[in-house]
Amino acid sequence: MRLIGIAFGFGPILFGIGFLAPMIAAILELAGLSGPFGLSPIQFGLVLGIVLGAVACRRKTWLW
Amino acid sequence: MAVVTQVSQQSLRAEEKAIADRFIGGFPWPMVIWPFVNTTVWLSLWPLVFAGLLPLWAGFLIALLNLSVSYLPSHDAQHNIIFPEGSRWHWFNEFVGWVSVIPMWIPLSVLRVTHYEHHRHANHPDLDPDYPMAAPTALGGLGKAIVKSQPRHDRYGETLNRLGTPASRKAMLHAMIARVSQYTILAALAWSGHVWEALLLWWLPLKISSVYINFYLSWAPHRPMTQQGRYSDTRAFRSIWGNIASSGMQYHIIHHLYPTIPLYRTPAAFRALRPILVQRGCDLGSM
Repeated sequence: MRLIGIAFGFGPILFGIGFLAPMIAAILELAGLSGPFGLSPIQFGLVLGIVLGAVACRRKTWLW
Repeated sequence: MAVVTQVSQQSLRAEEKAIADRFIGGFPWPMVIWPFVNTTVWLSLWPLVFAGLLPLWAGFLIALLNLSVSYLPSHDAQHNIIFPEGSRWHWFNEFVGWVSVIPMWIPLSVLRVTHYEHHRHANHPDLDPDYPMAAPTALGGLGKAIVKSQPRHDRYGETLNRLGTPASRKAMLHAMIARVSQYTILAALAWSGHVWEALLLWWLPLKISSVYINFYLSWAPHRPMTQQGRYSDTRAFRSIWGNIASSGMQYHIIHHLYPTIPLYRTPAAFRALRPILVQRGCDLGSM
């Protein structure tokens, strides 16, 4: 049960990978943009999704 | 004198109950038809949008409506209004309750355990699972509803842990399964090229509607959440959007007094009980 609790604590990072990454990639593609530093849209989406998820994990919020 | 007061209080309570009983019972057809229609419409959006038969923006607006109204029939099922516990048809009450919240992907078991705690401890700063919605102003209430949707900012998981009953442990398991399966479905949709559908038919309507639901079901009828007690923890209020658009919550005080009165009968019950509520010193807004 404790392990499950820990896994749920990483929920925002998993959400960043599972949902935010493809969403960020789709937004870039819709805007006709590529990722910075030669990254493809999905690579950039993954980097940003994981970073945002990690921040949300630590701060317990996506917004502030 | 004290004895006389006690007798008159008991008599008033008996009168109150006799009136309320007129609105309890019977088969609440609207609360059964509503969830089946609503959930069917929401599920239909997916093939319609995927097949290009419905534009995504229209799907988003319909989904927003679906999500916003999906909670209420489950609320009646939580209180076993459709068929009471012990009835051979009680399984149907549970079925309606689960079907109703499919769009929200929240188990009926979680809603029921935490909602009963809300009824037991309405406005208690530590024990009411809805207390994090406490705010003195409408703007503050909206802010609290947004805060509540942030990771680990609601009090439902904490409530289930605190209770530690077989029902709460089962609900916790259901909550975990629901969370994992919901995020798995969202991720599967997003990674298979359907991220806009996942965003606009489910995730965004869910987030927006949860703010609406928390505002009208938790904040508006209980604000400012400073008082406890049968006749003071809930109030009547006049919504600028009317009773239907505010999820029938103008008369939520009736629900807290008599939780087995179906939602659609609370306006009539309020009108019948109003003289007694005035005597009880309830906050009836301008209703």
